[in-house]
Amino acid sequence: MDFTLIGQSLVSGLGIGCVYGLIGIGFCVIYNASGIVNFAQGAFVMLGGMITHALFVRVELPYGLAILLAVLIVALIGVVLERVVVRPLWTRNAPMFVMILATLAAQIVIERLTYLAADDQPKTLPVFTDVPPIMLRGIAVNIQSLWIITGSLAIVALLALFFKTTRTGKAMRACAINREAAALQGIPVHSMLALAFALSAGLGAVAGIMLTPTQYTAYDVGVPFAISGFIAAIIGGFGRPFGAFLGGLMLGVVQATAILYFGAGLKTVIALSILLLFLFVRPSGLLGAAK
Amino acid sequence: MTATARSAAASAGAVPILAAQGLSARYGQVQALAPIDFEVGAGELVAVLGPNGAGKSTLLRAILGLVATGGEVRFLGTVLPRRNPVAVASRGVVLVPEGRGIFGPMTVLENLELGAYRLGRDAQERERRFARVYELFPRLKERLGQAAGSMSGGEQQMLAIGRALMADPRILLLDEPSLGLAPRVTEEILETLRVLNRSGLPVVLVEQRAPSALKLAHRAYLLSLGRLAAVIDPREVHSHEQLAQYYFA
Repeated sequence: MDFTLIGQSLVSGLGIGCVYGLIGIGFCVIYNASGIVNFAQGAFVMLGGMITHALFVRVELPYGLAILLAVLIVALIGVVLERVVVRPLWTRNAPMFVMILATLAAQIVIERLTYLAADDQPKTLPVFTDVPPIMLRGIAVNIQSLWIITGSLAIVALLALFFKTTRTGKAMRACAINREAAALQGIPVHSMLALAFALSAGLGAVAGIMLTPTQYTAYDVGVPFAISGFIAAIIGGFGRPFGAFLGGLMLGVVQATAILYFGAGLKTVIALSILLLFLFVRPSGLLGAAK
Repeated sequence: MTATARSAAASAGAVPILAAQGLSARYGQVQALAPIDFEVGAGELVAVLGPNGAGKSTLLRAILGLVATGGEVRFLGTVLPRRNPVAVASRGVVLVPEGRGIFGPMTVLENLELGAYRLGRDAQERERRFARVYELFPRLKERLGQAAGSMSGGEQQMLAIGRALMADPRILLLDEPSLGLAPRVTEEILETLRVLNRSGLPVVLVEQRAPSALKLAHRAYLLSLGRLAAVIDPREVHSHEQLAQYYFA
């Protein structure tokens, strides 16, 4: 086997793994704040790319502004989803399967609305920096992959800083550990839930925006990404944001390597096999589940 | 309420600051607390006694509106909201829950900071509150960077009370603070409650160790099977036998 080819796969795997990781973090942030597994997470990824495309291509806003606005809009959609779908069920202590079904339904609704508002044609975005790939010992590293990797690492570092040092971040952690005790301290747990949805939606949007220039986006790309992000979160230990990022990297690299050996047709099979492997052998994931 | 208990309440100078009327609670279809009138006067330390399953914790949870309740709870003349612990906490009604409810993976300092969550950015007031907590519990100051969950049970209880004090409560409710603690540590905790109460802070203390609680309390409510069994004037209880009479009456 050509080592250059393996190196190439690793780079590509790390790039897509970062995206899975960001989506996985989104799952964890919401789960920690509410105990809910939000299967509409993939919709945020899709909306990030689609809204940026609409603002950049149709409205003709500058690319940077279109990205910024898209992230904000998707974060707002996250808050609306929380208020309209999740909170009414959450306050009634709806069982987990009801919440999962509700968020899946929301995913489908968002998907269909996007289809009606746009169309079914794949859309892409320009790379962030239009320069040729960097060659490292025969391995071509495209700049967009570097954007994805460094951007994701920066986001993970900023998130860690947010949760560790800010009053709101600490309050969100407290809600994750013991929601009732947090409420007894006067921490507004409902606002923290809304914030968790905004944060997760924003993360999903960023992931979708960074990825779209290397692939494409369309109204129906959300579910596969949601599944990959969910697997990343399981691998890392559900509820562990940093674990989810590691899980995403692992999933991305294993998938890329496996595609090299077995072909792209087995990509999903490999991802689901990893999920099953972890569920059977180490259900608490790499870092141990948070709850 | 017995005549002696009424006089005890009166002698504590008790204008009720917390008054529950016809307060009941249920879990689903199960009535956990029959309607009860409950009062705490300014500066009072009121104990809630009773065996396991008597409804003591449920009474506290009902006061805070954490369970489905009937009746009404007034604090300083205004009705406390139900099912909204955040709003209740912001009125200065602060509960140290059973099992302490500390944020175990977070540090002692972070736990204390979260106690003062509603304070905002008033650094001077924050420092005053920290100083008060450190004065009461010097051990917490030595362990600020330690994960709260890694401390001993007694230290965790100190942290739970310290965190509650960081909210600058107008009334402090404690649910079994002695649970799982050695007698010496329990005495230390109860002594701190006495100091706090003497400084003017009203306290509601749910406690299974009745003799210890009665040493502190101005008044005690004895619950049994979710009903009020007696209101006790601690000055009338001189022996374990007398206390047992209340329990078996």
